[in-house]
Amino acid sequence: MDDDLAGGEGSIVVAEPASASRVRIPDRLIARRHRILAGLLVAPTAGWTLVFFVAPLILITVFSFASENLVTFNVSFGWTASNYGAFGGSLYLWTLLRSVGLSLGTTLGCAVLGLPLAYFITRQRPGVQRILLACVIVPFWTSFLVRTYSWVNLLQSGGPLDRLAQGLTGHRFEVLYTPTSIAIGIVYSYLPLMVLPIYVALERVNPDLYDVAADLGARPWRQFRRVVLPLARPGLIAGIIIVGVPAMGEYVIPEILGGGKTLMIGNIIVSEFLDVGNYPFGSALAVSLMTILMIMLFALRRVQPALEAR
Amino acid sequence: MSQVSRNAGDSALTRRELLSRGAVLGLGLPTAAALLDACGGSSTGKSSKTNSIAGTAVMSNYPAWMGSHVVADFERLHRGSKIKQITSASSSIAGTVQQLKSGTYDFALADASATGQADAIGLVAPLDWSKIPNIKFVGKSFRAGFPHGIPTDYGKVGIGYRPDLVGEKISSWHDVWRLAPKFSGKVVFIDIDRDCMGSTLKYLGHSGNSTVPSQLKACRDALVSIKPHLQAFLNTNVGQGLQDGSTVIAMDWDYDVAFNKQKQPKIEWVFPTEGMVAYIEGWIAVKSSRHLPLVESFMNFALEPKQYANFVNTTGTAYVEPAATPFVAKSIADNPVLRPGLAVANVEYEHFLGQATALWTTIWQEVKAA
Repeated sequence: MDDDLAGGEGSIVVAEPASASRVRIPDRLIARRHRILAGLLVAPTAGWTLVFFVAPLILITVFSFASENLVTFNVSFGWTASNYGAFGGSLYLWTLLRSVGLSLGTTLGCAVLGLPLAYFITRQRPGVQRILLACVIVPFWTSFLVRTYSWVNLLQSGGPLDRLAQGLTGHRFEVLYTPTSIAIGIVYSYLPLMVLPIYVALERVNPDLYDVAADLGARPWRQFRRVVLPLARPGLIAGIIIVGVPAMGEYVIPEILGGGKTLMIGNIIVSEFLDVGNYPFGSALAVSLMTILMIMLFALRRVQPALEAR
Repeated sequence: MSQVSRNAGDSALTRRELLSRGAVLGLGLPTAAALLDACGGSSTGKSSKTNSIAGTAVMSNYPAWMGSHVVADFERLHRGSKIKQITSASSSIAGTVQQLKSGTYDFALADASATGQADAIGLVAPLDWSKIPNIKFVGKSFRAGFPHGIPTDYGKVGIGYRPDLVGEKISSWHDVWRLAPKFSGKVVFIDIDRDCMGSTLKYLGHSGNSTVPSQLKACRDALVSIKPHLQAFLNTNVGQGLQDGSTVIAMDWDYDVAFNKQKQPKIEWVFPTEGMVAYIEGWIAVKSSRHLPLVESFMNFALEPKQYANFVNTTGTAYVEPAATPFVAKSIADNPVLRPGLAVANVEYEHFLGQATALWTTIWQEVKAA
């Protein structure tokens, strides 16, 4: 204790009022205090993650190797891999492929719509930008369920879009309860998640670059392809991840807009937990889906530097 | 007191009720009614000893699936007792069983399939029927179909259609399968395995509770064959499209067809010639309950014809208590779709399928994923 107070090499001298004596705090005490402070700061987040993310993840993984009596709902932990074997059945593989297809298609749809929109917003005056960004975000203030159900009214036979299509083309637009209506619902719901990261990427770009490209003779499309697109790429990749991952596991939108005819893997997982009560098999499906997504993310991460460098 | 209530033989209770009210109003002693109840017996079993039914019984229920004043009337009659409803009732067997296992509930709304499974696991408390004499008002077939608790409502699965748009009369499930290609995209089926597969099994000439694998596979094939022509599998507002004609044929519940028919009189209900399946729902007591006397007392109270009629008038459901007919709204009581008696002929009630439940689930998922 005396040593600590006596100070010496590697200590800090703390200036005190004239009446007080000078106190030296050694580095190791400061380091210890920093560690404690850092620990206190991290503890809530770490605790939250541990309890609500890591623990359920471990629980689900353990459950995925268990078996269950579907009459008594008693789970026995015999460490069986049979749940993963059942996942290989054509029913689940076909559903998984459908989910991958819909997820890729809707992510592409979000990118195709989101990139020009984000670019358009960044080209406006700051005040207009704020208004347009608010327009992108405001729908998030409404309940997700309400927004999704509103599409039932918009897409239903005899609804506004059907009447508009009949008026313009003479053909009906009856897509409710089809994979198309699911795709429309997913693109609509996730579009802001694509627009915002692209906007952030493009908003940092010096607008003079566009003028330089124009001065050098680049037409608008060439400007977009050679200047805007490469600069937007980091935001685009972030958007693809943010949209693609949840879209893959989506189950509410297919439930409401799919009319129970188009199952995605998320619907089967929910059904196993809530309808069938087969927690081990539901867990195995969830772990499998998570593994597939992680593989896809790692693959994307590996090619990301190459994509950004192009 | 009505004719029906007198038939229930509760004249002694009426006197006691009057005494209770007089005590409460005249003496201003809120506990007097409870004391009177506690001192007196009940020939109807309407209430046993009030001190034993005091407390709070927690019920798992659907939203608004209770008579508008049933709970309030009961709590007014039995001071110190409270019925707390949590609107979490699940339409799935697994969901119901998990809820009963949670220890949160004293009694629950459940269908016969879920009740059967819960009973198989030992989650259902046997009821003391001497405390629930009003069970005698319930039709015998409903009591047989829902043996572990008090039946409250049922729903037949039949056909709703628009004769003006179909252009011919539909009388059977065969007609539905035959006409589906002609009206492709305008046919709706129910999105619940027991109802949809049960009806399809009827179409194939089998029991709606079949556990025979070959019959269930035939059921799957029949559903997969008609699926391309279906607009959707729906579990809410199934027949809503019949109103505007966007749906012309619907496999639907009786109450839903009756509801839509009020708004579109051109809708017709069909009792298919092959027969129908029907679910029965009711209340069961949970074995872990510490308020069984309160639960039984409330069950008995809710079965009083006037109180039961309040439930029917509030929910618009098909009802199981013929004795309640005089108090049921004419729009329901005079509706041949909903009125018990005429309607229950040729109906097979859904019941617990045992180990075959898993096979049903698998086949249903195969249908949905096809």
